[in-house]
Amino acid sequence: MATAVAHEPHEHAHYTTTGLDHRKIAIWAFIGSECMLFASLISTYLIYKGRSIVGPFPHEAWTSPDGHVFKPILNIPVTSQSTFVLLMSSLAMVLALAAVENRNKPKPARITLGYRILSSSRLWLGMTALMGATFLGYQAFEFTSFVHEGLTIRTNLFGSSFFTLTGFHGAHVTVGVLWLLTLLAIDFKRGLTPKDALIVDICALYWHFVDVVWIAIFTLVYLIK
Amino acid sequence: MSQKRPRQLASGVCIAMVALVLVACGQQYPNTTFTNNTDFNSDIYALWNRLLLLGTIVFVFVEALLLFTVFKFRRREGAPAPRQTHGNASLEIAWTIIPALILAMIAVPTVKTIWKTQAPAPAGAIVVQVIGHQWWWEFRYPQYGVVTANELYLPVGRTASFELTTRDVLHSFWAPQLGGKRDLITNHTNLLWYTPRDSLAGSVFNGFCTEYCGSSHANMRLRVYTVTPAQFESWAAHQANPAALSPAPAAAVNAPVPAKPAVNTASLAGGLTPPAPPPPAPVGAVAATEGYVFPRDKLNAWNVPMTPFPTGSNEVKFDDSLLAQGDAARGHELVGNMANMSKAPCLTCHIIKGEYPGVLKNDDMAKAPNLTHFATRHTFAGGVYNTDARTLARWVKNAPHMKPGSLMPTLGLGEYNPDPLVRKIMATGLDDRQIADIVAYLMSLK
Amino acid sequence: MATTAAAPAFAPGKAAEYGTSGVWSWITTVDHKRIGALYLYTALFFFLFGGIEAGIIRWQLALPNQHVVSAEMYNQLFTMHGTTMIFLAVMPLSAAFFNFLIPLQIGARDVAFPRLNAFSYWVYVLGGLFMTIPIFFNAAPNGGWFGYAPLTTMQFSGGLNIDFWVMGLQILGISSLAAAFNFITTIINMRAPGMTLMRMPMFTWMAFVVQFLLVLAFPVITIALVFLLFDRFFGTNFYAIAAGADPLLWQHLFWVFGHPEVYILILPAFGLVSEILPTYSRKPLFGYNVMVYSGIMIGFLGFGVWAHHMFSVGMGAMADTIFALTTMLIGIPTGVKIFNWIATMWGGQIRFTTAMKFGIGLVGLFTIGGISGVMHSSPPADLQQTDTYFIVAHFHYVLFGGSIMGIFGGIYHYFPKITGRYLDEKLGSWHFWINFIGMNLTFFPMHYSGMLGMPRRVYTYDSGQGWETFNLMSSIGTVLIVIGTAIFVVNFLRSRKHGAIAPNDAWGAGTLEWSIPSPPPDYNFAEIPVVTSRYPLWDLKSPDKTAGIAHSAPDSLTITDAHAVPMHEETGGKTAAQLGIPMPFPTVKPAIAALAIIVMFSGLLFMHVGKFSVAMAVTLSGAVLFVGTLYAWLTSPLE
Repeated sequence: MATAVAHEPHEHAHYTTTGLDHRKIAIWAFIGSECMLFASLISTYLIYKGRSIVGPFPHEAWTSPDGHVFKPILNIPVTSQSTFVLLMSSLAMVLALAAVENRNKPKPARITLGYRILSSSRLWLGMTALMGATFLGYQAFEFTSFVHEGLTIRTNLFGSSFFTLTGFHGAHVTVGVLWLLTLLAIDFKRGLTPKDALIVDICALYWHFVDVVWIAIFTLVYLIK
Repeated sequence: MSQKRPRQLASGVCIAMVALVLVACGQQYPNTTFTNNTDFNSDIYALWNRLLLLGTIVFVFVEALLLFTVFKFRRREGAPAPRQTHGNASLEIAWTIIPALILAMIAVPTVKTIWKTQAPAPAGAIVVQVIGHQWWWEFRYPQYGVVTANELYLPVGRTASFELTTRDVLHSFWAPQLGGKRDLITNHTNLLWYTPRDSLAGSVFNGFCTEYCGSSHANMRLRVYTVTPAQFESWAAHQANPAALSPAPAAAVNAPVPAKPAVNTASLAGGLTPPAPPPPAPVGAVAATEGYVFPRDKLNAWNVPMTPFPTGSNEVKFDDSLLAQGDAARGHELVGNMANMSKAPCLTCHIIKGEYPGVLKNDDMAKAPNLTHFATRHTFAGGVYNTDARTLARWVKNAPHMKPGSLMPTLGLGEYNPDPLVRKIMATGLDDRQIADIVAYLMSLK
Repeated sequence: MATTAAAPAFAPGKAAEYGTSGVWSWITTVDHKRIGALYLYTALFFFLFGGIEAGIIRWQLALPNQHVVSAEMYNQLFTMHGTTMIFLAVMPLSAAFFNFLIPLQIGARDVAFPRLNAFSYWVYVLGGLFMTIPIFFNAAPNGGWFGYAPLTTMQFSGGLNIDFWVMGLQILGISSLAAAFNFITTIINMRAPGMTLMRMPMFTWMAFVVQFLLVLAFPVITIALVFLLFDRFFGTNFYAIAAGADPLLWQHLFWVFGHPEVYILILPAFGLVSEILPTYSRKPLFGYNVMVYSGIMIGFLGFGVWAHHMFSVGMGAMADTIFALTTMLIGIPTGVKIFNWIATMWGGQIRFTTAMKFGIGLVGLFTIGGISGVMHSSPPADLQQTDTYFIVAHFHYVLFGGSIMGIFGGIYHYFPKITGRYLDEKLGSWHFWINFIGMNLTFFPMHYSGMLGMPRRVYTYDSGQGWETFNLMSSIGTVLIVIGTAIFVVNFLRSRKHGAIAPNDAWGAGTLEWSIPSPPPDYNFAEIPVVTSRYPLWDLKSPDKTAGIAHSAPDSLTITDAHAVPMHEETGGKTAAQLGIPMPFPTVKPAIAALAIIVMFSGLLFMHVGKFSVAMAVTLSGAVLFVGTLYAWLTSPLE
């Protein structure tokens, strides 16, 4: 027949029009969808900004009718730290992917410590997951301290939209951390090879996306008053 | 299928459409939107006429082209194979540009009308606050100190500027003959204004809630009376007065309520400060001047609600012969005396200006229609019932049966009250005689 | 193999695990064609269900002040009629065609993720039942299909009704999104060699646009529903009046989803009609490129017009102006489509098959819906039209005259491919004409009742308002629609077993799906075809008719005509195993995962009635079941 495509039974199972794996295209479609999800959440936060009837407020102090004074609730220095950690986790993710992709490349004549560090996918996957978990720890701390200061999800429009927005993001980070830990477990069990680069790549795409969303949230919610 | 049948059917459909148009012309349409009754609606009507004209041209052209194509190019035996055409750039450009031009012919007057009709209301307008409630309308005239329900009086020739708000869910205010609708949005105040033309003096229009608002959305209607400025002033002046209360019964003997005459009605009226600024009229005195009320006999058939009484499990049984024995004074005692609150808790939700203020300090606290001049309104219960004794008796007895979802509790003795809280508060209900008294009292609130 | 798809066997038989017949085989199937058939059957069931709801509505409104059903029940009926027809009938009917047709039209053996496809179906059917069953207990959603807050908040709707709606829509959203990711990947990545984007059949193109609309629109309503769910269950303030919430937040979020949703409903029908008209005119689609671009344009503009549903809420003159203009713009690509369809028929040899009648019906009736649509793109005029029966007339011309006509056309057109048998043309013709007349008799008078002042969503109306004649006409028309639909049901059920046998190319069509047997074998194409044109079958079968006229520009792939389509006669009905074609294993895991999702959501119902421990137990067991199933799913091989 005219083409090899038509003849090799096992070949066409893997034939794709673009040459990319199906999963890679699906994750991009998924990320597109997630963009609209977070766009809706962020828009809601911005629409309700400054429209709460009672405090506490994000950037302004508020005196309740009974005379209690609430400080501006957002703690930007602390959240800057967690933001930095999350940004760094993206770097670790890049290194993890590179380590998996380069696994079968010929080793250099002298194996330096630097080479061993850079080529350890376990280290970088673990680092990424650890930094993600650290971010979640910061968020747990932030949420509990807000609740102690008198802001819950039920307090006012700010509370509802803030906790829902950051909570959704936190849930995404949690899923990402579990995903990374799964990859790490696979790596320990049988070792990730360049053949597995795709599944690491997909996880990395998701992780970077979650990271980028946080940059948007940090800018719009925390930095802009 | 033979080739004839489609053609026959198509012509049948055409005839049916024409018949429809003819039928449409031969009847009276009390809620038509095609009027020049106000400046606002004239603008809309003009726009509509243009839309209809262009729409009809496009409709006739496209459908004629479609039918022509379909019949002309039907398959014929032995005809040569059709030419395989793929497109024609100039044709396609043409039918992109022509619709664009037609749309431009709509867009220009549209934008003009948007800005014209949404400009601020002209000075000297009469302000009407329209407040939506599940499922009735509250109308306030802040310039006149009038609060009323479900029936709106507008002077002709003067702009009515509506300020629309809602106490609960979303509603939409619409009197089709007078203009477009505007929604009542929680935590918003919406604006709408129009000027009834002078020729409308002495007319009545129906209106509706047009935003789905729950169980009785269909039962949230209104009437608009367009009257002369003089009639309006007379009406408003009277409506601002406190209620014309009937004299209290001379002795507790007459009252069917067990004697617990803790509060004397006379001292009650004298001793308490009424909620509204105008001083209360002396108890028992009918307001000095009879205000204008749109005469009932001038209502058109379609202005009179025809809602039948519910039947079956929702039927409210009432012995109508008792209505003749109803005593307004006893009703006044029942409604106005705090001691009877657990039987007749009317004033916990309604305001009757001049009557014992109950728990309501101001109109904003009232959950239910202001009843001060209840009997001057031709309809009640969101405009679905006539204000008459028979209907009112059943309403007082079991409002939720009379109107699905009604937030007015069931007051009749022996009626099942679905709300456990109300059941608890109201240890006893009103018996039919007491209801007849209350009805007589309400019907005296002229 | 052929008999399986020909007679979808619901009769309980000896359920051999992973067999090809019996209930179990349908529960475990991952074959896109069988899933398509499941979608078709289920969606037709819901279509009839929603139709019965409509029938009761029209019975109630036939005369003024009637009380066939209570106000409460009526409100549930109109809410569920809208919700059912949109989410449980028209969307899944489109999905049935996506499933069945997309792989066949692009020359693929299945969708990109066959098991995810099965999962989408099971989530849909279970979510549909979750929303529908409560109506038998007088507890169905009653807030309208648009569910405007604050009416839907706990303060004003304390019952379970709205919970079923919120959770049901969330569940259906999962189904739609999963399916959309799947089809996007399938269309991008599984096209046969030579099947360039601009050679794709128009149905696949419109389906492609719809998947993007789904992917981008559904997250928005997901968030709107999450807010409502949180408000109802966790006391957040998104729609809480007392906290100063703005009810327009819901409206904006809802219509940012809701308007693209309209195109999600109509574009698949446009696609089907773009297959039907060329086939029965024996002419290629006129202006293919423009048809593609206008479809994309409609989808794109569809995201910029949402607030035309809100002209009466008082957005201000500037917003009204902007949304009026964008709405008018969308009329242009739609008009272009209408003219291109007419031009497709122009100069053709039109065969009046039932499918063609429905196709022509769509062009004629959708035009009416389009014109009335332009009428309410003008905000001042819309203030007299919105929330009246004029709008009901408009969108039924779009959705019944457009979507349903297109889908029925598609069913008559593709039934032979799905089952191997023709639907009866005589009954089909009766179905069309009775439905066509009934449809016009039902919905045309609604233009009048609306402009004469009749509001929407009223369970009753007073006599003497000038609406009686039109309402009675509408109700009589509904009787005709019921009769027409009953004819269809009879035709469908009879033809499944007794219809005339259909050959591969049942109608003399030009696209790939007609080159393979009817019904297709489970592997679809024994050999993946190499595509050189938009109508490869026409090129192959009647080179004389198309001589000298390429159906698309030639390209670098130079192959002889004989290789343009697969040669099925050579395979002689061999199975996939005999041909060495790997097929995905049937599996029950997607169905279990779908069930787990329903269980998770059901927990919240117990929370509503105050049983927190039960709620936690149910939701957690659902979550455990879901995670466990997902693990088993991901670790088991596909094929």
